[in-house]
Amino acid sequence: MADHHAGPSGFARERRTIAFAWIALLLLMLTSLGSAYARLGPWNMVAGLVIAGIKAGIVAWLFMRLREAGVLIRLAAVAGLGAWCILLVLSGVDYATRTLTPADVQRPQQLPPVHGAASQPH
Amino acid sequence: MSGATLAHPSVDEKQEPETGKLGMWVFLASEVLFFGGLFVAYLVGRVRFPAGWAEGSRHTDVLLGTVNTAVLLTSSAAVALAVACEEDGHARRWKARLLSLTAALGTVFLLLKGLEWHDEWREHLLPGPDFALHVAGAQQFFALYFLVTGLHGVHMVCGIVALSLLARGRARARPWAGARELEVAALYWHFVDVVWIFLYPLLYLVDRHG
Repeated sequence: MADHHAGPSGFARERRTIAFAWIALLLLMLTSLGSAYARLGPWNMVAGLVIAGIKAGIVAWLFMRLREAGVLIRLAAVAGLGAWCILLVLSGVDYATRTLTPADVQRPQQLPPVHGAASQPH
Repeated sequence: MSGATLAHPSVDEKQEPETGKLGMWVFLASEVLFFGGLFVAYLVGRVRFPAGWAEGSRHTDVLLGTVNTAVLLTSSAAVALAVACEEDGHARRWKARLLSLTAALGTVFLLLKGLEWHDEWREHLLPGPDFALHVAGAQQFFALYFLVTGLHGVHMVCGIVALSLLARGRARARPWAGARELEVAALYWHFVDVVWIFLYPLLYLVDRHG
């Protein structure tokens, strides 16, 4: 696999990439924070997750070096994500199609003895 | 006897530079499912109790959460730089220091998290009989909050220990603290950062404008 990191100029490039990625991550974090204070209704969560997805992508692609990883490693990364998507979809379908019959919350109370009206010697 | 030396039969560094990394990625895939189950539980709860989730999230400390996010993102950059230092002969002497910096930032994160938890305990936000918020679902939110940040914290501790050991080993030029070991540990650290990247908006930024 070609190693384009080798050598001092490769290191300088890598250092620059890391610096820009770091600044981008902090700016995205502040954007996420700011967007939370805007009245966007359901789009607040969408914005938060999209921004988080971009940040995760930057970390995975640049910091974790998926950019230059081989097929096997990329497959392992995708497999993890794919398995989680299956978990999300199947669990989501389960919960979305349930009818909820909530039970009333009962305060703790002293209940009468179960067996017999007369109290039993203990 | 032949004069040729035999390469170690099972580890040929030139042919299998990615073995350690592949192993770590496979482990991280399992970790995605570990945290992923909790994320799905979060989503189910949020759909079921939108008001409770909003009320709970408004009572998290968004300032500490944001500072912590910045600390963790910076620590990821630091460990990425440590890995990159391998490429340059002059920069290699910075590896140990950058690893120590990463571990130190991780420790700062945990201290701030502990501070947050202490404040939340004082404000009666621990699920239980004297839970302070009376919106349905707020207790569930905080149950998930403490569970997931606690598990994340345990992962951070493991990462801090590993990076601290590698920093010490690197400074003393130990053979077990080489470039490959560092790359693998860095992958783990970045993953712990990615989990927090998603936790931040989900825990701290729900209905902030309410």
